Amino acid sequence: MCKDMSPLEKAIQFHGHICPGLLMGVRAAELALEYLQVDLDQDDDLAAIVETNFCGVDAIQAILGCTFGKGNLYFRDYGKIVYTIFSRKKQQAIRIAQRFEALDDPNTKRYLALRFQEQLTTEEEAELEDLLALSFEWIMSQPLERLFHWRQVDVPELNKAEITPSVQCHKCGEGVLKNKAVLTDDSLLCPECRLSMEG
Amino acid sequence: MCEANVYLLKEGREELFMEKVDRIIPGEDNTLFMENIFGERRVAKAAIREMELVHHRIIIEEVSQQQINVGTEIWLDLDTDHGHFHEGEEVRLNLLKGYNMKADLDAVWESPQVILVGQSGRRQADLHLHSHIGHINLGKEADGLIQVYARETGEKELIAKLLVEVGHHHHHEMQHIGLPLEIMPCGYAHARMGENYEVQVLQNGQPLVGVELRATYANTRNRDYPHTMTTDQEGKARLFLTARGNYLFSVSNEETISTFTLVKSF
Ligand SMILES: [Zn+2]
Ligand SMILES: [Zn+2]
Repeated sequence: MCKDMSPLEKAIQFHGHICPGLLMGVRAAELALEYLQVDLDQDDDLAAIVETNFCGVDAIQAILGCTFGKGNLYFRDYGKIVYTIFSRKKQQAIRIAQRFEALDDPNTKRYLALRFQEQLTTEEEAELEDLLALSFEWIMSQPLERLFHWRQVDVPELNKAEITPSVQCHKCGEGVLKNKAVLTDDSLLCPECRLSMEG
Repeated sequence: MCEANVYLLKEGREELFMEKVDRIIPGEDNTLFMENIFGERRVAKAAIREMELVHHRIIIEEVSQQQINVGTEIWLDLDTDHGHFHEGEEVRLNLLKGYNMKADLDAVWESPQVILVGQSGRRQADLHLHSHIGHINLGKEADGLIQVYARETGEKELIAKLLVEVGHHHHHEMQHIGLPLEIMPCGYAHARMGENYEVQVLQNGQPLVGVELRATYANTRNRDYPHTMTTDQEGKARLFLTARGNYLFSVSNEETISTFTLVKSF
């Protein structure tokens, strides 16, 4: 990569498309950075608890560097667009919740309605593209308080992912973390093989 | 009672489009957003033709694709999807003819010319026409920031302009070329999605106030230009960039149609 990408560009690259959900995640990441006074070039100890697995999480991963692979992204499947972003070094955490009415601007609503329509005419596809552009500009130019509620919270106590050595599953022969393997009467099984035995 | 029924005028006949509308918001690009007292919402690619408020009637008219005046224009594009060239890399450009960044595959060329304006002055570049595309190769020695423009004769004079950046440069002051009709970027900075981009329209070097400037981007699904702006007192207009890839700005007057290709690296 030759040129520094902006946070927004990084998020779009990572997510693969532009959509209102991703852009809301970009704004949430911007809020977290501002609130926690984090300079990503210096600090890399951010972590996030996300309560959704929708588009916006990709912005959190791409911009804040909180990813599944690094183990600093914790998923709580609550179906809520809520992100708790924290820095252990700074001992600070912010809980950001998307406002219920955040995306109620007419263009975004119409976009989302069309987006979930099964078939689109050529005109509707063009309209969808125009609506996305309008929604894009709208989301990026709203004051953060129009989009989110936020407050300071205690830095969550979380266990670091336990890393244990791998053992070999007696059935499929694949490696599996020792603490995930299941010991039966006569063999050591990976969770997958264990489940298929039951079924 | 202050809501109205909206009628759509189609081939001379009025058709009820939406009942008891209490909100109409004109959007960009000839769209009207309507909401009625039942909370229903519709968007139409239409313009308001008449409002009979005493009779609670609003008549709108579809802005049909046929009404759009499709004029042929020319534009330049980089022959790379990378957004810029590296030092020592062969710099290749394409000259295209068509409309709304959709090349006309049957384009016929009359007398196209390509001129390079760099630190060492102006020179003509070789142009090789190959079917509908004009190929321009600036070689491997090109360096710095080069303004490239093309001219072609037609019903109107056609002008196209593009900036080529070779190597990485930080800040540049740029002079206009003095074309009869010219679109200049205001301040040379990397254009980014999610940010405003400002250009100035000049006629023989003088700002052109209150003219319509249009913008489109690569692979738009719109048949016509998706964005229309009007230049301000300084001949400037701004566009919030929301699409990936390159943008094309276009402006025209009686004699000329002039385009400027904004090259984005993302
Ligand atoms: Zn998405
Ligand atoms: Zn197994």
